[in-house]
Amino acid sequence: MRSFNAIGHLDADCFYVSAERVRDHFLCGKAVGVLGNQGACVIAKSYEMKHAGVKTGMPIWDALRLCPQGVYVKRDFRWYEVLSRRMLDVVRAFSPRVEYYSIDEFFFEVSAGVNLQEMAERMRDAVLREIGVPVTVGIARSKTLAKLVSDTAKPFGALALLDRAAELALLERLEVTEVSGIASRRAARLEPHGIRTCLDLASADRRLVRRLLTITGEALWYELNGEAVLPFYTERPPHKMLSRGGSLGGTVARPDRLYAWLARNVERLVEELEFHMVCTGALSVYIQHKDGSDGFARRMLPAHTDRFDLLMEAANSALAQAWSADRPAIRMHVAASQLRRSGFVQLGLFDAPPERAEAVAKLKREVNAEVGRFALRSGATLPLADVYRDEAQSYDICDVRGKICF
Amino acid sequence: MLAGMALALSELPVELMVRHGLERRVCDRGGEREVQFLFADADRLLPVWRNGRLQILRWGNRRGESAHLPCTAWTQLDTVQNGGWSDRAIESVVVPATMGLDKGVWYRIRQGIRGLVALDERGGPRVYVICEPSSHYYQVMTRGGSWMPALIDERI
Repeated sequence: MRSFNAIGHLDADCFYVSAERVRDHFLCGKAVGVLGNQGACVIAKSYEMKHAGVKTGMPIWDALRLCPQGVYVKRDFRWYEVLSRRMLDVVRAFSPRVEYYSIDEFFFEVSAGVNLQEMAERMRDAVLREIGVPVTVGIARSKTLAKLVSDTAKPFGALALLDRAAELALLERLEVTEVSGIASRRAARLEPHGIRTCLDLASADRRLVRRLLTITGEALWYELNGEAVLPFYTERPPHKMLSRGGSLGGTVARPDRLYAWLARNVERLVEELEFHMVCTGALSVYIQHKDGSDGFARRMLPAHTDRFDLLMEAANSALAQAWSADRPAIRMHVAASQLRRSGFVQLGLFDAPPERAEAVAKLKREVNAEVGRFALRSGATLPLADVYRDEAQSYDICDVRGKICF
Repeated sequence: MLAGMALALSELPVELMVRHGLERRVCDRGGEREVQFLFADADRLLPVWRNGRLQILRWGNRRGESAHLPCTAWTQLDTVQNGGWSDRAIESVVVPATMGLDKGVWYRIRQGIRGLVALDERGGPRVYVICEPSSHYYQVMTRGGSWMPALIDERI
């Protein structure tokens, strides 16, 4: 039985830029772009830069043409996480049930008997006052509606919208791709049936939507019609898969450098396995080549493990299959699946005694906890000295734990 | 290579602004205004913390100006460390900067840039910006800039 009155969605306005402005007043009022891991793409922009036509994900050289007066800053996920967790604390002061959806988005439940519009405004003002980050708060009858409300109330908005007539007016003017979970491919499936706006989707036959978009789309149909059916997570559910990787910072053609990236990603993956106290039974390697082609290979492990040496052996074998050696690579992901809680795994029949490897792993953990992440690492990573020298490379968005969404 | 820098207007005393006619260098891109110092300026200047005071000095040496000093605006950190300037009286200085400019990209600088002041034959101080090989990030951001300014307590 539903024990809450409504669901709220708090979304920081151009979060990375706002976070930079919290500690750097000089950036206020300027067109600001935050650059991604390699310094090539704009991963966040201020409204001033947005008005100049710069889009998220745009390469800096395109952004420069549109906005030559822009100021560019290097991203700092450690700082963004600090502010994100402080925002989470503020939201929790208003609601006991909060979902840490992403680094800059939170859902919260609102109990009956609260003035919803007033609460949205108070929460928005509290985040600005206590943390310095402008946010927008939307409150509605479901998560999907709350997100649509906050998206349309930006920037620095606060809106509680529960009246069905007002909901319908909102849905009528929004394209269906505004719904979180409906991108261009799904929209293309809806289009032949005349479903173009959110209202079209909400008014469509539920069985048709289910047929076109499966049970996921049906859930969105309920949500748009004010019935909260999406799960609400106050804690992150256990991972079914863990992965690490991303851009290789340019093209990589040398095998030793690609192997170094593999070692780096496997070490980061081992950190995650240890943190979540799980072992993996299967390891996959994905490679994207510069020419757009890609390769994928998976290795089943003889026994579940979180040991670096065993995972590296499997990853290396998978890499040999996934990578076309005559094509430079630009991206790599290493993924662990078939996860099991550590302590509930059976040792392989032919495994060497794990004591030595465990001692090395323990030493590595302790040294890195004391001296700094990656201070002690595999010698295979030596060709990436330039990457390790850059402090900002040691912490990424995926290292911010506990959020539901990437 | 650093093509220019900007300093927040609030960082420059009015007296210096007036004495060096810096008002015409003031730019407004929203928020706090800035004073720009560009390599391409006819009157090439840089602000410098020297002897505990903020001063405005000539930036480098142009052809035909001083026969005593190298004709450049930059010097490599390696050159300084390997004694390339040891035959001259030089001082290390800080060039306060709020932003740097390279290949059209304005990027934020937290504190400033390392510099070196040398005297020309008339005893006039000139400042050279110290550079070091670019980080991978800087190279990508500036599309191939192979030298970046040596920043104070910061690496981009």
